Amino acid sequence: MTATASSIVGNREAVRGHPTVTYRRAGDRALLVEYGAIDFDLTLNFFVLAVDAALRAEPVDGLVETAPGFRSMLVSYDPSALSAGELLDHLGRVHDGLPAEREMEIPSRLVRLPIAFDDSQSRLAVERYVRSIRSDAPNCDGGVNIDYIVRSNGFADREEFYQAVLATEQWTGFIGFFPGLPFMFPLDPRHVVVVPKYNPTRTWTAEGAVGIGGPCYAIYPVESAGGYQLFGRSLPVYDLHGRNEVFRDNPLLLRPGDRVAFHRVDEQELLSQWQDVQSDRYRYQIEVSPFDVGAYLASRAALAPAAEQRRQRREEAAARTPVP
Amino acid sequence: MANSGERAVEIRKPGVQATVQDYPGRSGMLRQGFFPSGAMDNVAMRAANLLVGNPQAAAGIEVTLGGFELRLDADATVAVCGARAEVTLDGQPLPIWVSRPAAAGTMLAIGVSPGPGFRQYVALSGGVDVPELFGSRATYTMGGLGGFQGRPLAPGDRLPLGAPSGDERARSFRESARPAYGREWRIEVMRGPQATPDFLTEADMAAFFDRSWPVDRNSNRTGIRLESYQFAWARDSGGVAGGHPSNILDNPYPVGAVNLNGDLPVILGPDGPTAGGFVVAATVVHGALWKLGQLRPVGDRVRFREVTPDEATELDRELAARLTADSLDNV
Repeated sequence: MTATASSIVGNREAVRGHPTVTYRRAGDRALLVEYGAIDFDLTLNFFVLAVDAALRAEPVDGLVETAPGFRSMLVSYDPSALSAGELLDHLGRVHDGLPAEREMEIPSRLVRLPIAFDDSQSRLAVERYVRSIRSDAPNCDGGVNIDYIVRSNGFADREEFYQAVLATEQWTGFIGFFPGLPFMFPLDPRHVVVVPKYNPTRTWTAEGAVGIGGPCYAIYPVESAGGYQLFGRSLPVYDLHGRNEVFRDNPLLLRPGDRVAFHRVDEQELLSQWQDVQSDRYRYQIEVSPFDVGAYLASRAALAPAAEQRRQRREEAAARTPVP
Repeated sequence: MANSGERAVEIRKPGVQATVQDYPGRSGMLRQGFFPSGAMDNVAMRAANLLVGNPQAAAGIEVTLGGFELRLDADATVAVCGARAEVTLDGQPLPIWVSRPAAAGTMLAIGVSPGPGFRQYVALSGGVDVPELFGSRATYTMGGLGGFQGRPLAPGDRLPLGAPSGDERARSFRESARPAYGREWRIEVMRGPQATPDFLTEADMAAFFDRSWPVDRNSNRTGIRLESYQFAWARDSGGVAGGHPSNILDNPYPVGAVNLNGDLPVILGPDGPTAGGFVVAATVVHGALWKLGQLRPVGDRVRFREVTPDEATELDRELAARLTADSLDNV
């Protein structure tokens, strides 16, 4: 029997402030729905989250689950209850029913988290890596990854990089890889930082470590392997045992659409807060505040010239910096 | 001696890795970063459950390679299905794919499997009764959760058993209904999500389907690694996502994804990562996922066979038809 020679089973043109849609087969029980062109554009993620929310608000028999990515979504279905054709029709109706991107308001929370830069656990992870995995990795010069981030982005010094992290809210685009790991992206385009990942990857990372790979920040939810450049440590973002009240209803702190604002603490203070989290004395600071896509687009346009200058400086620096 | 009323088994030798697993594992959790876990070979697990009178979804023990021993601390009917191995109850042979009632104190031992196949599934009447977490008793070792204390089993672990159904007899899973094992596996897939025409060329996909891929030693429940191969690729680079054409902006992975990590194909197993930045050339269809649990590192080879959605549905139907009480014979 001949099989279809393309994995693409449908397309949709860009209409009324919506991106193009590409429907791809992901086996016999899922479709991967992709939005827009291959581009690092946060508005694609806003659209993904809006589609995800609409699909969850209007459940249809046979739709098992949805899992957002940066500019895509995996839609799992039970083919005995819902055919791929019916699912495509349903997705089309959901897309039709959404407002233009600039009119969207996305449910969101502002989550304030402390960060201790250049902490001892991140240094320990680098030290173990240099000792047991790769001794000549350019991203580990001086026993830290921070100087490599500084160099490959053309920052004047560590402090300028730290200010870039602190000066913008980080958008949680999706959760994945490990349970509870947030993939986060700076909302202020002037503060985009980009750095290559480890090669090969690390075998150990501390819980709560904060790293960056490509344009994406992550907080490690559990002690694990990892490939992002480490530069600090924050608080637990995952606790199955619900030691802190924030984890009682859900062991994951963050959800897609949350904004994380880091504030700086020293490591002593972080460790004391860490203990307070576990003894349930620490209270995570979380405010519910919807995210206005229109206001974001207006501010992004106003900041575009400065962001472009920053991008040029970054790319010149990256061209001079060895890739691990 | 067990507490009155509490049925249990005690692990004596776990072998390479033994975990509590069920079927189909955790669903609905991909969005939070949990792959489903559950029995890597769901067919052997479900057949073993049928043999001991359990629901097919009940939790049992997944044994890797063999070299496993447990002691019954209560009367229970037991069955072992999966990779060929010598199985004994107090030294008396118990054929694989056959159930037998056994008394408290009996030792169940599984020898090291010479193959074909790589994993065995131990079902016990009543099922392993560890607490459910997010709707499943499956162990997810990477996340340290589910199963028995979120970890592989160790000597001395006591696993509680649930209440048996009462339908406990010596039975055999009919030979014609058993899945075929070998050293050369044909695994049914559908191409994509990232294949022709925009990521890989027709010639790349032809090579993907023609090659006989060896199973690498670094294979486990998170993924089956194959062997590096130089694809031609339908594009020059990954653009914003990275230099290599296999790089994409991080996106969700389906279970059974055949991921191209640079030039290295890796089939994602039940404990795999839920998202990542590499293309997925093909996806193992649901009715063929069980084969991943029986691929033996070093020696076994895999060829991928492209199927249509209808053929994938037919595979599911055939499996469901075999996994019923009609496939059991009294012995």
